[in-house]
Amino acid sequence: MAEPEASSAAANGGGRLRNAFGGVLSAFTLLLIGVLAFSIRLFSVIKYESVIHEFDPYFNFRVTQFLSKNGIYEFWNWFDDRTWYPLGRVIGGTVYPGLTLTAGTIWWLLNSLNIPLSVETVCVFTAPIFSAYASWATYLLTKEAKGTGAGLMAAAILAMVPSYISRSVAGSYDNEAVAIFALIFTFYLYVKTLNTGSLFYATLNALSYFYMVCSWGGYTFIINLIPMHVLLCIVTGRYSSRLYIAYAPLVILGTLLAALVPVVGFNAVMTSEHFASFLVFIILHVVALVYYIKGLLTPRLFKVAMTLVISVGLAVCFAVVAVLVALVASSPTKGWSGRSLSLLDPTYASKYIPIIASVSEHQPPTWPSYFMDINVLAFLIPAGIISCFLPLSDASSFMVLYLVTAVYFSGVMVRLMLVLAPAACILSGIALSEVFGVLTRSLKFQLSKLFDDSSSAVPASGDSSSESSTNSTKSENRNEKSETAPKEKPSKKNRKKEKEMAESVPVKPNKKEKRLLVLPFELSVMGILLLIVLGGFYVVHCVWAAAEAYSAPSIVLTSRSRDGLHVFDDFREAYAWLSHNTDVDDKVASWWDYGYQTTAMANRTVIVDNNTWNNTHIATVGTAMSSPEKAAWEIFNSLDVKYVLVVFGGLVGYPSDDINKFLWMVRIGGGVFPHIKEPDYLRDGQYRVDAQATPTMLNCLMYKLCYYRFVETDGKGFDRVRGYEIGKKHFKLTHFEEVFTTHHWMVRIYKLKPQKNRVRGKLKKLKSGAKSSSTLAAGRKNPWQ
Amino acid sequence: MATPPHPRLLLLPLLLLAAASSSVSADDLVAELQSLRARSPSGVIHLTDTSVTRFLSAPASRRPYSVLVFFDAASLHSKPDLHLPQLRTEFALLSASFLDHNPGSGDLFFADIEFAESQHSFHQFGVNSLPHVRLVRPEHASLGGSEQMDQSHFSRLADSMAEFIESRTGLEVGPIVRPPLLSRNQIILIGILFLISIPFMIKRIVDGETLLHDRRVWMAGALFVYFFSVSGGMYGIIRHTPMFLTDRSDPNKLVFFYQGSGMQLGAEGFAVGFLYTLVGLMIAGVTHLLVRVESLQTQRLAMLAVMAIGWWAVRKVIYLDNWKTGYSIHTFWPSSWR
Repeated sequence: MAEPEASSAAANGGGRLRNAFGGVLSAFTLLLIGVLAFSIRLFSVIKYESVIHEFDPYFNFRVTQFLSKNGIYEFWNWFDDRTWYPLGRVIGGTVYPGLTLTAGTIWWLLNSLNIPLSVETVCVFTAPIFSAYASWATYLLTKEAKGTGAGLMAAAILAMVPSYISRSVAGSYDNEAVAIFALIFTFYLYVKTLNTGSLFYATLNALSYFYMVCSWGGYTFIINLIPMHVLLCIVTGRYSSRLYIAYAPLVILGTLLAALVPVVGFNAVMTSEHFASFLVFIILHVVALVYYIKGLLTPRLFKVAMTLVISVGLAVCFAVVAVLVALVASSPTKGWSGRSLSLLDPTYASKYIPIIASVSEHQPPTWPSYFMDINVLAFLIPAGIISCFLPLSDASSFMVLYLVTAVYFSGVMVRLMLVLAPAACILSGIALSEVFGVLTRSLKFQLSKLFDDSSSAVPASGDSSSESSTNSTKSENRNEKSETAPKEKPSKKNRKKEKEMAESVPVKPNKKEKRLLVLPFELSVMGILLLIVLGGFYVVHCVWAAAEAYSAPSIVLTSRSRDGLHVFDDFREAYAWLSHNTDVDDKVASWWDYGYQTTAMANRTVIVDNNTWNNTHIATVGTAMSSPEKAAWEIFNSLDVKYVLVVFGGLVGYPSDDINKFLWMVRIGGGVFPHIKEPDYLRDGQYRVDAQATPTMLNCLMYKLCYYRFVETDGKGFDRVRGYEIGKKHFKLTHFEEVFTTHHWMVRIYKLKPQKNRVRGKLKKLKSGAKSSSTLAAGRKNPWQ
Repeated sequence: MATPPHPRLLLLPLLLLAAASSSVSADDLVAELQSLRARSPSGVIHLTDTSVTRFLSAPASRRPYSVLVFFDAASLHSKPDLHLPQLRTEFALLSASFLDHNPGSGDLFFADIEFAESQHSFHQFGVNSLPHVRLVRPEHASLGGSEQMDQSHFSRLADSMAEFIESRTGLEVGPIVRPPLLSRNQIILIGILFLISIPFMIKRIVDGETLLHDRRVWMAGALFVYFFSVSGGMYGIIRHTPMFLTDRSDPNKLVFFYQGSGMQLGAEGFAVGFLYTLVGLMIAGVTHLLVRVESLQTQRLAMLAVMAIGWWAVRKVIYLDNWKTGYSIHTFWPSSWR
């Protein structure tokens, strides 16, 4: 260690200046990265308007409104009777409050600073703000593993990775918006604790984990990934006291804090998702004990003690495992939730839970999804993996583990591409920074060699002050700084081990064969150019994806045709109609996708919504939609429904309408009420609504509500989504009446006709008696009773 | 061990009965079929030309049962794209599950016919392509008029065949009982072996001399998981997609790439996954290996090769992606620049 200290003392003044310059430069770069992350997500506001997107965000928005109006205690005890009629829903106890509390706090803070923003504005811009935070957290995390250069690179990549943009554009006010930041920051604090062994960071880590638990159900990923990493470290012989400090407080404090969140509660100790962490906690203590005893005893005594400890420890282990197995086996799903099970056994959901399998974001992705969502990073990640192994440190092994688990999970569910995105960015950042490092180093040394041939050996160790001021040299400076920076902090003894490992590779060959670690000059230039082209393509792709693919709010739709831009604002038109023309206590039935929007925008009570917690209730609505008019009327009437809302895209060609979702209604309905059979709706296994459709299909409520009077639009009944003429064109509704159809026919609202007056002439007494008995029989079929 | 003698004992009086009465009644046929079924392990009756005439060509009044017939051809078992052996085992599984659920049922029987020995029956049914499964119900007057199970019902194997039966006959097949991969004894044995090996494993881990301590194993594992996932391997497992399809218009041509982003074939995924991984590995090679090579000439050649292959691979993937998804990625320049 004497040599670098001497050299650093010699170059002290210059080095300090350069460090200060590098610090300012990287701070400035980080600021720009934050601005980039924020502004690339504003396309939706610029192209459309400042509006909340999609479905779930409307619920979050409504909760935030409630919170800002009524305060936190009211929010905590909120029982919502506007949804899941007649059951209602305890919002305070069933919602992850992190996002709502965050946005509520921001709103409160701004208002107390006399900046009067509306709750909606705050909600719209929460996600972009937090993606800037997320890219800064990425910088910190990557810096812990591979230095400042890689950190900046990774942060810049993360700021515009399409996968993350898809969930965090302005207006997409969903849990993931803050959760990804919390995820990365928790990982950063874990790695930081691992590198420093400081209890301060360990405590922060537990707090950050708490924020993550508050924000998103995906926290189970953290509480399984970190134990996996600890186990990996133990198994590969990398146990240290730092590992103990990084893990033990997290489990104890983290679990206690997690149990504070109402929606998690005792799940934090009672479900299988958390058992891995406790098991590893025990193992860690056993290993810690072994290491402690090893330090106390002589090697021979240790061997004796070892056999003793192992036999006793095994007995204890078996007892614990037996208890765990008994606990797990006592629950029907083996203690795992359906979503986690479908991750472990990918074919699980498609076999047993249609409601999970029905959601498009739970489908497995194909290779173009990866190219769409992480783009050229897919090419860089393998290089990043290899860089992490050369040299392998605790931090870099964590990165690899994170990537591998995330990439596997993303392969099962396309939604988890979001969790993969940070890992992909970190590893690509590492790969890019290393390859830029090598190429620019080759340039620099050979440039100086060209200028004066005699002193070619001098700049080898990297403290030459190069006078060229190109971009590449700047990044080179940063890179070197990352290598030299830890040298000046030798007091942190905990980092010694890794530092030695980190130094051993680049320094050793430098000393022996000074010009070996360079590549040919002209080809390095070409390589840099190619990498810049690759990066340029990435930027183009990300901007395109942000602007074209992921910014549609799906509440306002646009289409561009030859005669200009068409705006379809039918959803808000329909919800506004509902809120202005119906009674406050009227119940509106629709498929669950539109539940949140109806409660938030129309302020009417719905039967089911996007929080799909009660399968039977959803199946009841599915059954009603797939039944003939009369049976459907009875089901809806028994639920006090006044209005039925369907979304129909056949006129304008909007593909995600109810007719396309209908098969799932049949499947989910049939899963609970077996008289609904999927084959009845299929002609030779094909789903169709044209002339060859089955009579069951043509008579079901969904078909009738969607296509009622449709033939009047063009005289032929041509469905633009399905691309053919519909099967049954002229029919009348007996139990429903049309009350409102929006401008482009995208939302159609029907009212249930009142019950027929059954007073008849006394002469027809017999007949009416027969009738009432038949309605009784039909009533028994009603699944709701 | 108790089961085999049992049906044989039953069989004897039944056969005697059948021989004694000269006119064969419906009950006799059912009883005979049941005895034949009992002789086969999975309950699939093997039919020949003579038994087809006997059991199936009989007038409907004497045939109160349905028969699901699987048409088999031993000569075609070697053709992989027909999946005949697999479908045959699934068929047996279906039959066994049905028997489990409805023991002693006389409403539905499962049968198979082999092409080489019963060409006449194939002709009678009018079967000229395989795989082929037919349901002969009591109301079908002639064999040719019986109902064919279409391709979509083979897709999910026994489960979808069961749906077919349930929708056509109204009989409940019950849950498909698949034999577990390992028998109970094997599981116990493996468990014991595992328990015994734990102390040895711990000892080796403590000593630090296992494969686990070899960094290269971990690296290869990580790269493999990455390769497998980005190539959409899980999609193939969950959706059971084939590696490639045969072209509909030209059966000799194979389709490796499927246009449309919602679906992918196995081979195309692995090809693209390979390209993804290849470029990454080459970059890593340049960064970590090539810089250590002493010869300048080798470095030059290798770098040229890497750049050429990398350029080609990235362009190929971009081209394939645009072709498959139909997206056209474009830049946004200020409108005054145009």
